Amino acid sequence: MKTMKWMKVLALSLAVMMFVAACGKNEQQESGSGVKITLLNSKGEIQSQLEAAAAAFKEDYPDITLEIIPVPAGQSPFEKASALYASGNPATITMLDTGDVEKFKDRILDLSGEKWMADAVDRSTSLTTFDGKNYAFPLAIEGYGFIYNKAVVDQAVGGSFDPATITTTDALEQLFQKIEASGKAPLIVSPMDWSLGAHYLPLAYAGQSSDPAAVARFVEDLKAGKVDLASNSVFNGLLDTFDLMAKYNIDKKSPLSGTYERGPEVLGKGEVGIWFQGNWAWPQISSFDTASGQYGFLPVPVSNNADDFGNTQISSAVSKRLVLDKEKNTAEQQAAAKTFLEWMVYSEKGQDFLVNQANIIPAFKNIKLEAKDPLAKSISDYIAKGKSEESMSTLPADHWAKIGASMQKYLAGAADRATLLTEIQDYWKTVK
Amino acid sequence: MTTEKGLWDRLRLRLLFTGPTLFAFLAVMIVPFLYGIYLTFTNWDGISTTSTFVGVENYFSVFQDTVFWKSFLLTLKYVFVTVVLINAFAFLLAYALTSGLKGQSLFRAGFFIPNLVGGIVLGFVWQFIFSNVLVYLGKELSFPLFGDSWLADPNKAFWAMIIVTVWQYAGYMMVIYVAGLMNVPNDIMEAASIDGASLLTKLRKMVLPLMVPSFIVCIFLSLQRGFMVYDLNISLTKGGPFKSTEMVSMHVYEKAFLSRDYGVGQAEAFVLFLLVAIITIAQVYFSKKMEVEA
Repeated sequence: MKTMKWMKVLALSLAVMMFVAACGKNEQQESGSGVKITLLNSKGEIQSQLEAAAAAFKEDYPDITLEIIPVPAGQSPFEKASALYASGNPATITMLDTGDVEKFKDRILDLSGEKWMADAVDRSTSLTTFDGKNYAFPLAIEGYGFIYNKAVVDQAVGGSFDPATITTTDALEQLFQKIEASGKAPLIVSPMDWSLGAHYLPLAYAGQSSDPAAVARFVEDLKAGKVDLASNSVFNGLLDTFDLMAKYNIDKKSPLSGTYERGPEVLGKGEVGIWFQGNWAWPQISSFDTASGQYGFLPVPVSNNADDFGNTQISSAVSKRLVLDKEKNTAEQQAAAKTFLEWMVYSEKGQDFLVNQANIIPAFKNIKLEAKDPLAKSISDYIAKGKSEESMSTLPADHWAKIGASMQKYLAGAADRATLLTEIQDYWKTVK
Repeated sequence: MTTEKGLWDRLRLRLLFTGPTLFAFLAVMIVPFLYGIYLTFTNWDGISTTSTFVGVENYFSVFQDTVFWKSFLLTLKYVFVTVVLINAFAFLLAYALTSGLKGQSLFRAGFFIPNLVGGIVLGFVWQFIFSNVLVYLGKELSFPLFGDSWLADPNKAFWAMIIVTVWQYAGYMMVIYVAGLMNVPNDIMEAASIDGASLLTKLRKMVLPLMVPSFIVCIFLSLQRGFMVYDLNISLTKGGPFKSTEMVSMHVYEKAFLSRDYGVGQAEAFVLFLLVAIITIAQVYFSKKMEVEA
């Protein structure tokens, strides 16, 4: 009897110990043969390409195993990355949005001394440089504006459409009218809060000046509540264009019912001529393509003076950055991660992955491969001609959701322009 | 065997059985809860290695956050409507399905099934129904009510959430009511019949009073689920159009994880916890008084 009881106690405590031990056992047990590193991928559309790249990288560096961890759909990269840090298990390489890098700067490696720094394009690292040290690898440039379906607009203008002719709001309206006259709907406005709040409206901040410092000052003034948006010509010009978009929108009867998936479908099938979106939409458009791959970008005009800043420029910026953890990863892992970054920029396979497989516009001057997808090519052309406007990539984290909701209200006609501008001003006053 | 031993022996035996559960409960419920309360006094942003102690400042922010209170009021409205509708439907279903209908087990299973589908999946399925299927039908049959997506209109989106919630939980509550109805003793029902009570009188004077315990449980469950609704909110309406259907849980989540204001977000979660606790405890306390013995 007595022994039975002790047996039970023993068995139970053994079970508890095993349970606790199992919880604690997550230290990496590197077998001497190589280094294992991880990459937290927050660009879901290139997950399989990244996995292929990891395999190609392994061929060149058999000692290094790279594992790609996706950020689950619906979770932000910041959420996932901070959760991994909180659990003491951060990825070696983390893919972050530009605005998030600063929050991590105490935990990530200074990359200022890397070889690729010399080949990075202008301003591609300035937003992740703090106290003179750059903390992030610029992975992809992305741009957005009006995507046009060349087959539809060619038919509308009767001949070959020249995007350089659309430099004013009036010219844009005439184009809309011509498309309408040709029997198609002019454009589709996708009403997602992120599209309106993170892409469309920020054109008004970025369009304030061609000098990034002046734009930064404008944002500071907004925070301080010193800006009167109702009298701001860029804001009003951008919203005038937005009114036009709403007027010629294929979904104007129920402007908020559209989904992202509807955009590439109607544009690709040629039911509309124009869609406001970015080059990341190419994979979806191509699956509906009826214009034999002929698409391009138009800038979003903000006035009727063709020379005004923003009327001929396409908004673009480095949107995704890679950072390397220095807290929990060993020196070998950090070195392996640096090797991977270098491999992407300088090896043939790495460049092929970036440009041809993942359809990324790289931020490095030494990569001469030409993009195959028409949207990336169009953005690259604008950048090469110096016709680019720096997108706002360090807006507060909840900007897209809050301002996106205000824009939806305006689009649906549930708020007028004065209300919208007041809501934007009030939002900025709450930003810390 | 246990009674004649000392305190330590008794405690040891109890720990043997409750220890593992207690450990798990402490580790995943109590410790995070207390740590969460600690966070409400800091201004941590979720990632930085340091955070400052700010006292009760976050609680002041909660009371100044008009959006929080607006979404709380909306949640109250949502809870009120769903509690009434879920329980009304569930009781009627249960009453119909205990009256000896042919194939009633099959119906019971059918009504219960929505509850086995997770809220997120359910939200996506219904999102498709509301914004594609119904719109298509509305256009084909020129039925103006469904001409445009319900999810694009603030009012209709709210009712869309209610419909899905009722559809999801009515079956679950129905099972509890069915159990309650089967426990109503046959002898008193027979006695009532002999005394000449009509069907309605029997329901009102016999069945309903004896069903009070089931009502308490069901109302408690639907209250608590209504206040905590998040998965359906995010997958069906995403709080839209323009934040008009953002329930309080979603607001709290966005405060903490989107606006990266853990302190205020946690404080709002704690205030919400207190409010919901008060409401549900009051509900259970007062309705317990209505219980009767057969």
